[in-house]
Amino acid sequence: MKSAIIFKRALAAVAVLAGAVLLLAAPAPAQAASFDSLDAIKARGSVRIGVFSDKPPFGFVDSQGRNQGYDVFFARRIARDLFGDENKVEFVLVEAASRVEFLQSNKVDIILANFTVTPDRAQKVDFAKPYMKVALGVVSPATAKITDVAQLKGKKLIVNKGTTAELYFTEKHPEISLLKYDQNTEAFNALKDRRGAALAHDNTLLFAWSRENPGFVAGIEFLGSLDAIAPAVAKGNASLLNWLNDEIVKLGKERFFHQAYDATLKPVYGDDIDPESVVTEGGDID
Amino acid sequence: MDLDYAFMLKYAPHFAGAALTALRLAFWGIAFSCLLGLACCLFRFYRTPALGRIAGAYIELSRNTPLLVQLFFLYFGLPKAGIFLEAEQCAVLGLSFLGGGYMAEAFRSGFEAVSRVQIEAGLSLGLGRAQLVARVILPQAFAVAVPALAANVIFLIKETSIFSVLALEDPTFLAKDLIGMYYNTSEALLLLVLTYLAVLLPLSLFLNRLEKRVRHAEFGR
Repeated sequence: MKSAIIFKRALAAVAVLAGAVLLLAAPAPAQAASFDSLDAIKARGSVRIGVFSDKPPFGFVDSQGRNQGYDVFFARRIARDLFGDENKVEFVLVEAASRVEFLQSNKVDIILANFTVTPDRAQKVDFAKPYMKVALGVVSPATAKITDVAQLKGKKLIVNKGTTAELYFTEKHPEISLLKYDQNTEAFNALKDRRGAALAHDNTLLFAWSRENPGFVAGIEFLGSLDAIAPAVAKGNASLLNWLNDEIVKLGKERFFHQAYDATLKPVYGDDIDPESVVTEGGDID
Repeated sequence: MDLDYAFMLKYAPHFAGAALTALRLAFWGIAFSCLLGLACCLFRFYRTPALGRIAGAYIELSRNTPLLVQLFFLYFGLPKAGIFLEAEQCAVLGLSFLGGGYMAEAFRSGFEAVSRVQIEAGLSLGLGRAQLVARVILPQAFAVAVPALAANVIFLIKETSIFSVLALEDPTFLAKDLIGMYYNTSEALLLLVLTYLAVLLPLSLFLNRLEKRVRHAEFGR
């Protein structure tokens, strides 16, 4: 008798799941826009921007708990130009792999988390004009320097889930086994503990990291294609997208992103790096 | 919402593979937790000097810290102290450490349910300590503890979902990875739910039956 009850319960569980699947699979009726338009944001009085917490010097939280970095510098300016107050921004900390979800579920208005423009991503979100340039790089211990992708065969390469580095090696070099982490901090810690032979990420990040971590060098400085980093908004949020595009063109005239570079990246990069290889003004990318 | 069925079909085998990884690690973790839990329970039951206290402290420590923190300690902390463990070793060790405390408490419920009269009867018959445990206490204690032990087994299998912090390919890792690369969130999450259900529902039914059988032997109904 008891087993009959158990069986019924199991059946109920399956039935609930089947119902959920049907709900998901049913063609969606024209659903309400899952984003807040420019007017709605202005009415709310603050803008929600998704940034990184662990990608210095682009997006990180400093020892006082304040958001800092190149992306954050831009985010504060957006708040200033929208509301006349650079503090009218609510920072939402995101992981690389969850950036699209945050937009799709309307948890943020804009993603400014060093988001590289890719065709896959452009299908899911709308990118504004770019404000930075990036390629991939590979960092490795100076004592076992990796200078060519061929050297990685049969070794473990560390990547961060949901980054362009992961996608590049998954599609172009399936022969290299990847160790994938959710957070940058975990990935770089794993490299320090020598869990992998090298770590692949945005070269702009690796330049900064290797300067702060002697013993590691960016043995491969340029890999893949030169890509653009741009703000992203939810698919279809045209009012916000247009505003951002105008904003980036306007800021280009005052060379705002060079100021952002000097304030946030230069202290880390020093004079080794040409700002023109990282910064772009007015959304023009060559 | 329209689901991308081609995507789901393509990656379903990956989820099966990831489930096997999780189950393999869970198997060892559960096996070691049972041994550890039984040992701790015996030390506590007999109030073994020193070991009884240590077991008590361990049970509190393991049950009151999250597995995530334990894994971080093993994986990222220990190398700083010169002890390097592979990800899978950390996973099994972490799960055993966590599970040991829970299993000890489950066994305790069984041990305490064995009536004093039974033990005294055994002693008056001249059974030694080992005989008493093996022939009088354990068979009865086990029957009482089975539901709690079974709940722990399910719990520990579900806990494997955080192995992804160790870069191990369990189903949760795979789902998050696919979402991060291809942004098919609904498909990946649905596959994830189905994977856990496919693993846990049959196991749950099996454990329920097992429970009935064991208790049937004890109570004769």
